[in-house]
Amino acid sequence: MKWRVIELETRNAYSNMAIDNAVMEEVRAGKSIPTIRFYKWLPSAVSIGTFQSMANEVNVEECNRSNVSYVRRLTGGGAVYHDSNGEITYSVIAPESLFPKNIIESYKVICSWVISGLAILGIKAEFVPINDIVVNGKKISGNAQTRRDGVLLQHGTILYNTDIKKMFSVLKVSKEKISDKFIESVEQRVTKVVDYADVKQDDVYFALLKGFTKDKEFEFGYFSADELKRAEELEKEVYSADSWNFNR
Amino acid sequence: MYKSAKLKVLGGKLLEITLEYNGVIKKATITGDFFMYPESALQDIEKSLVGTKVERTEQEIAEQISKKIEGIGVTMIGIGVEDIAKIVKMAVEE
Repeated sequence: MKWRVIELETRNAYSNMAIDNAVMEEVRAGKSIPTIRFYKWLPSAVSIGTFQSMANEVNVEECNRSNVSYVRRLTGGGAVYHDSNGEITYSVIAPESLFPKNIIESYKVICSWVISGLAILGIKAEFVPINDIVVNGKKISGNAQTRRDGVLLQHGTILYNTDIKKMFSVLKVSKEKISDKFIESVEQRVTKVVDYADVKQDDVYFALLKGFTKDKEFEFGYFSADELKRAEELEKEVYSADSWNFNR
Repeated sequence: MYKSAKLKVLGGKLLEITLEYNGVIKKATITGDFFMYPESALQDIEKSLVGTKVERTEQEIAEQISKKIEGIGVTMIGIGVEDIAKIVKMAVEE
């Protein structure tokens, strides 16, 4: 099976989610081949799981004040802060038939690609079900998957150098919890690449690229005109709309 | 009357519910960081709770939800039908 790999690029939150959705549709229609993409978010953004409440999870006022976008994902899971300078996101979009039917097993397969990339940086990470990758018991990557009409979408974040303080100013945590003590306790549960390896973001990307493409037939490519056109529609009509983002 | 409840499923995910009821449930909104496939099943579950008498037992509510979603082939990760039934009762009895 030949894969299309779309190299690290930067988009706004709505466009990033719209692109994943549009590629899913094209893979389902048989017009696009299985795709791996890497991306960043500009401006920084919070994405919430498809079943989460925006009002409960996100400090929308603080986001508006500090130019942080907020968007509801297609996938379940929890709220993620996508720091423009501190994380890399990936998406894998492919026919379900390429992966184990068991959802946890399929998480394990794709997470092994992340783990393989981190290993190149000398970081020994492991998959912890349901959907986390940890280093020394601390979370370094969160992942979320959906399956629709025979197509699997899994996206995930790899924390490179996320600003934890900023993270908790935009996620809804009561003010008193954003104390040094709380941040220390979060840091005990969350980690990032720079804590383990003296590397630049590009090094992290290239390591992930190797991890994801290992033993695969692939070509570098870009989105088709149809994907981009559909993504533009979805960005406008769905992902940037309050009717979607505040639907729970 | 509006009531809410929150449940962190052991070894699983966070499940929250807001109920509007007056003897019977008028509206149920379920949120959380769990996974459910197909995602549209959550709306089916919420709808299945409408009209339910709040004094129904946890087991009866679980059976009612199971009946509603049988045949759809729903997969839940991080929560189960019994957790949804449990949180309905938690909200009512809060």
